[in-house]
Amino acid sequence: MTERAFPKIRLKLALGLAIVLAVLAVSLAAGWLAPFDPDEQSLRLALRPPIWSGARAVAGHVLGTDQLGRDILSRILYGARVSVVIAAAVMLASGLIGVLLGTISGFFGGWVDYTLQKLVEVVWAFPPLLLAIAILAFLGQGLPILILALVSQRWIPYCRVARAQALSLRSRDFVVAAQAIGATPWRVISRHVIPNLLQGALVIGTFTMATAILSEASLSFLGLGVPPEIPSWGGMLADGRAYISTAWWLALFPGLAIFATVFGINLLGDGLRDLLDPRR
Amino acid sequence: MRQVAFLVALLLATAAHAQTRVVVGSTGYFTPNVYAQSDAEGYVNGCQTYGCMGYYDYHTGELVPMLATSWESTDPVTWVFHLRHDVTWQDGTPVTADDVVHSHWRQMNDKLTRQVSNGKDVKTIEAVDPHTVRITTNEPIAPFLFAALDRLTIQSKHVYDQYGADLADREHPVGFGPYRIAQLVTGQRMVLEKNQASPFAIPTSPDQLIFQVMKEPEQRVTALLNGEIQIALYVPPHMIERIKASSTAHVALGTGIENNFLIMNPSIKPWDNKKLRQAVNHAIDKDAIIDSILDGLADRLDGPIGPGQYGYDPNLTPKYSYDPARAKALVKEAGFPDGVAVELYSTVNRYTDDKQTSEAIAAMLRAVGIKATLKTPEWAKYSADAEAGRIGFYYLGRGSVIDPSPFLSQYFETGVTTRTMYSNPELDKLLVQERATMQPEQRKIVLGRAMSLLNDDAPAAFLWRMRLIAGIANSIDFTPAGTVGVRGNDITFKH
Repeated sequence: MTERAFPKIRLKLALGLAIVLAVLAVSLAAGWLAPFDPDEQSLRLALRPPIWSGARAVAGHVLGTDQLGRDILSRILYGARVSVVIAAAVMLASGLIGVLLGTISGFFGGWVDYTLQKLVEVVWAFPPLLLAIAILAFLGQGLPILILALVSQRWIPYCRVARAQALSLRSRDFVVAAQAIGATPWRVISRHVIPNLLQGALVIGTFTMATAILSEASLSFLGLGVPPEIPSWGGMLADGRAYISTAWWLALFPGLAIFATVFGINLLGDGLRDLLDPRR
Repeated sequence: MRQVAFLVALLLATAAHAQTRVVVGSTGYFTPNVYAQSDAEGYVNGCQTYGCMGYYDYHTGELVPMLATSWESTDPVTWVFHLRHDVTWQDGTPVTADDVVHSHWRQMNDKLTRQVSNGKDVKTIEAVDPHTVRITTNEPIAPFLFAALDRLTIQSKHVYDQYGADLADREHPVGFGPYRIAQLVTGQRMVLEKNQASPFAIPTSPDQLIFQVMKEPEQRVTALLNGEIQIALYVPPHMIERIKASSTAHVALGTGIENNFLIMNPSIKPWDNKKLRQAVNHAIDKDAIIDSILDGLADRLDGPIGPGQYGYDPNLTPKYSYDPARAKALVKEAGFPDGVAVELYSTVNRYTDDKQTSEAIAAMLRAVGIKATLKTPEWAKYSADAEAGRIGFYYLGRGSVIDPSPFLSQYFETGVTTRTMYSNPELDKLLVQERATMQPEQRKIVLGRAMSLLNDDAPAAFLWRMRLIAGIANSIDFTPAGTVGVRGNDITFKH
C-alpha cells in the first residue's frame, strides 16, 4: 500500500468510528432522546405513518407508529441498546475464549493442539444459525442465552488466528529467551505471546460485532431472539414484515438502523485491518 | 394439409385432457401419519384421501354420508353404521367393516396419535358383517356421531398388516376418497390427484389439488396475486385491501369456528388463584383489540362458544365486561397488593395476528397490576409444553368447535387432558350428564350450566372467533366455512 492510500484509511476509520460512537451514544442516551416510552401502546393510534407522509400521521410520532401504536423512533433508539449489548458481549466473550484456547493450542502443540483443533472443526461444521437455533430451542429465550448461542461459534475465528500466531511466536527469540531464563509457560503466554496477537484479535473483534448484530436480527426475525417485550431491531423487522405492503415504515426504519450500524462497524474493521497491516 | 389436421387433432386432444389444477397456500404441517395430527385441515385431508364414514358440512350444518350410507342408535349406548358395498381401495380390495375397526384401533394405539380424545368413548367396536359396524359407548354420548364420522380417518387394514405403520403411511397411502396422495413432503407440500375410480370423485372438482406450505401471510397473498396459487388460506385482516384491489382475485369470508382463548393452568402458580383468573378476564379490552388489530373481523366471545355454535346461550352468566378498576381490585383481593409477575406465552403467526394481540393483552394486564412478560417459543416446543401442562398462561385456538362437547371435555374435564390441568368434580358431573342427555333442549340446558360454571371459575379467558378470510382466484369458486380445510369437491371452476 502506498502512502497515498493512507488518507483513505483514515477516512474509513473516522467514518466507521463516528457511526459506532453515534450508536453507542444513542443506546446510552435512549432514555433522554426517545420522545415516548417504547412500550407504550395505543391501539387507537396504531399503524400511523411518519409525520411527513399524509393526513393520517400523528404529531410527535416522527417515524410513525407500529401495529400496537408504539412509537417507532423510540423503539429504534431503545433497540440500539440490545444491539450494543449483544455486539459487545459477544465480542468480548468469544474473544476471551478464542484467544485463550487458540494460544494454548498453538503454544503447547502436540495432543493439546490436536484435541482443541478437532473441537474447533466439530463446532465449525455446524451451520452457524442452525446451531444458535438449536441452543435457543433447547435452553429457551433470554438475552444471556442468546449471547451464549452467538458465542458458541463466534470464538472460532479468534481461536484459529491466535493459534497461527502463537505457533510462529513460540519459536521467536524473545520467547525462547524468556523460557531459557526459566519463565513458566503461563508467564510466557501472558507476557509475551498474547500481547503480540491482540492486534489480529482486534480486527476480528470488529467483524464479530457486525455479524453478532446481524445474527441477533436474524434470530429475532425468526421469533427466537431477544424476548418480545425488549425492543430490538430484528424483532421490529420481523413484526414489520407482515405489513410491508400496507405500512412500509414498520420494517424500513429498523432495517436502515441495522444497515447503518453494520456498515459503520465494518468500515471501522476494514480501516483497522489496513492500518495494522504490516505490509503497508 | 394433413400436418395441419394432425396439429388441430393434437390440440383438441390436449384440451380434452387438460388437467385442472388448484394450488392452496396453506399453513398446515403435512405429515404421512394422519393420526399424528389433530388440526382441522388434517381431518379434511384424511377424509378426502384415505376416506371417512361421513363428514360435517359446514355450509349446510349437516352430517354427510360417505362410506356409511346410514346409521342408527339402537339404544342409548349403541350405534350401528351401514357401509356402502361398492367402495374399493385404490388397489382394488373392497373396503369393509374390518377397516373401520382397524382404523379406530390405530387412532387409539398409534405411537404418535394425537386423536385419543376422538375415540375415548368407544367401549366396543365390531364388524357385525363386512358392511356393518356396531359401536357401543361407555355411556350414552349424545355428540358421538360427529367423532365417529368426521373425526376418524379410515385406513386399510391389509396395507397396514402387510407393511406396518411407517412404511404403509410413507410408501403406500392407499385410500378410497376422491383424491389420492401423489406426493407428500413432510412439512412442505402435499400433491393430491383425483382418484377417478372413487365413487366420491366428482367431475367438477380439480384434477389436481396441491397444498403448498407457505408460512408467511405475505408470501401467500403475493403468490395469489401472482397467479401461483388459487387459494390463500388464513389471510390476515390488514391484507384484505391488497386482494380487493387486484383484478385477479377476491376475498371470501367464512364463519369461523376456531375459538381463541387464554389458558390459565391452575396447577401452576399463581393460576391456582380464582380471583386472579377472573381479574384477567376483566382486564382485557376485547372490543378494542377486535376493532383495531383485528380490523373488526372477529366476533367477541363471552363464554366458551358464540352464536352459531351448538348450545350457545346469549344470556349465559356470569359475563366479564372490560373493567380495569374491577380487575385491579381483584388482583389485590387475590392477595397481590403489589401486583404479580406472570409469563404469557404466545404463538407467532400460528393464529391470525396472534403475537400482536398477545402484546396488546400483556399491556392491558400490566395496567391492572398483572406484570405479564411475553414469551414466544418456537411452535414445536410451545405445543409440546402446552400439551404436557408445563406452561401456565398461554394463547391458543381450538378449531372445529361445532358441538362444544368435545372441546369442553378436551380442555376442562378431569383426566382427559393435561393442557389445562383443570379439575372440577362439579363440572365433570355436568359434562357426563350433558353427554347422556339425548333430548336436544334438555341437553342445551345442561351444557349451559357447564359453561356458566366455566365462566365463573375461569380456567380460561375466552377471547374471540376469527372470521375465516381466504383469498380466492377469480377463476374458481370456493368459500371457506367452519374450518380452514379445503375439500376439492367444494371447488368449482368458472367458465
